[in-house]
Amino acid sequence: MAKPVVEKRYKLSEQVYLWELIKGMGLTWKHFIFNVKASFRPEPHTIPTCWQYPEDRRPIAPNFRGAHMLMLDEEGREKCVGCGMCAKICPANCITVENAKVPEGEEGKYAGKTYSKTFTIDWLRCIFCGFCEENCPKGALMLGPEYELARYIPEECMADKSMLLANFHKAKQEGKLRPPREPVPVVGAAAKSGEEKPAASADEKGEKPAAKPKAAVKAKPKAAK
Amino acid sequence: MNDLIITLIKVVFIWVWVLLIAVVMTWVERRGAAMIQDRPGPNRAGPFGLLQPLADGIKLFTKEDIIPAKAKKLLFILGPILFSLPAFSAYAVVPFGDKIVLGGKEIILQVADVNVGFLYIVALGSMAVYGIVVGGWASNNKYSILGGLRATAQLISYEVPWGLALLAIVLVYGTFSLREISLAQQGTFLGILPNWGVFKQPLGFILFIVAAYAEANRVPFDLPEAESEIVSGYHTEYGSMRLGLYLFGEYVNLCTLSALMVTFFFGAWHLPYIDMASFLGPISYGIASFLVFFLKVSFFLWLFVWVRWTVPRFRYDQVMGLGWKALIPLGLLNLFLTALAIQLTI
Repeated sequence: MAKPVVEKRYKLSEQVYLWELIKGMGLTWKHFIFNVKASFRPEPHTIPTCWQYPEDRRPIAPNFRGAHMLMLDEEGREKCVGCGMCAKICPANCITVENAKVPEGEEGKYAGKTYSKTFTIDWLRCIFCGFCEENCPKGALMLGPEYELARYIPEECMADKSMLLANFHKAKQEGKLRPPREPVPVVGAAAKSGEEKPAASADEKGEKPAAKPKAAVKAKPKAAK
Repeated sequence: MNDLIITLIKVVFIWVWVLLIAVVMTWVERRGAAMIQDRPGPNRAGPFGLLQPLADGIKLFTKEDIIPAKAKKLLFILGPILFSLPAFSAYAVVPFGDKIVLGGKEIILQVADVNVGFLYIVALGSMAVYGIVVGGWASNNKYSILGGLRATAQLISYEVPWGLALLAIVLVYGTFSLREISLAQQGTFLGILPNWGVFKQPLGFILFIVAAYAEANRVPFDLPEAESEIVSGYHTEYGSMRLGLYLFGEYVNLCTLSALMVTFFFGAWHLPYIDMASFLGPISYGIASFLVFFLKVSFFLWLFVWVRWTVPRFRYDQVMGLGWKALIPLGLLNLFLTALAIQLTI
């Protein structure tokens, strides 16, 4: 059943239209005056609905996933051990890690015994899901607050190690480093962790399931700090 | 020879002035729209975005000039010219100030004081629609032709109340010359009100302003270009400077109509209760009258913008209904009442 059509009966003042028009113009005038006054104020963000982008930015969320950073620890050593876990879990297949032993005389630069000789992230392919960060056993890779990633040349979007480290330094300088992410609770993980057998079998199968609890253990004390 | 040079200077001056107003109006419209809609609008080019029209101009001039393959070439090129020329030439008879005395020579601030200036305005006002129809026809596009047809229907409907409103003004002032109408509006009316046309013809003014909005194809009567219905109407196929001419012609048209409103209904260059000629020197009086006139014009230009961003577009049948069923009878009534009043008072 279709709804019965109710014909709206207009009052005479509405039919004449002019008075209603003047009322409407009063409303637009109010908006106009408000915004004109606002646009003369010196602050960058005066018109509430509009952000004047380069000068005036919206605050980003605390767990924002922007450009990747390779983290350094408190002593300024690279945390990355070049295990390639990030590359393995990456759904877009955009991370390339080359593993190498730390050369002699450079032990002070790296936290682990091995390090990543090259570490390249293809930002053209990256979907910024953050799995690499979640999966990193050392907490060495994080997605930072930087989001202006557009470049004119595709080659510039291949983020190499120096760029990733530079991102870290920049974020640290600006005080935008956030504490490492809480591990995502896995359904059924609590029940399984009580039994030894499945955990052991997982260890045998590969590093992946074993790595997760490790990362969780590492992350927790830092979060507490 | 001397007169010829003076006339030439006046022509060039008012032409440049009106062009300047049209340019500034594009900025005013965009900023005004933005302010009404709670956003900043173009504010990057120059202070307050004032150089935005310049950037627009450069963009329009340097864009590729496309003529659709199946368009009628000659008419396609002719359309924008036909549209903007009448808009420019209507200013020839509009008095934009009283007079200025230079070296003992009295210069009237009006390009030509034609004694049928009134008819000239009415004739040119309806010429502009040819540009729209021709452009719409030549584009070989269904939206364009629809826009053109709508413009024609609208113009035919609203030319009548427009003319009727103006006719009442002629009855009141007894002259066809715009300068004489302006001069007649000095002093006070009924002892308290300024002697302006709007107080003698309040209904006539409402009719005139509504019809003027329809003639200029402005919201709420912008059916010829209704974006939401027929893409962009008559200038759908136009780009680069041809489109620029259409848009520009529209603003010049607005300027002309505002000047007419001021001339007929708002006392042209007269300030209410103050006679500027009594205390200003001959040259400064000329400049002051010019400024007062354009102050009033700028109010009506702003009114065009203000209304545009307040009122939604009418439906087609509403436009026609308003024109034929409301404005024309009211116009006739107004004419009758005016004639009666004049007959009784004489």
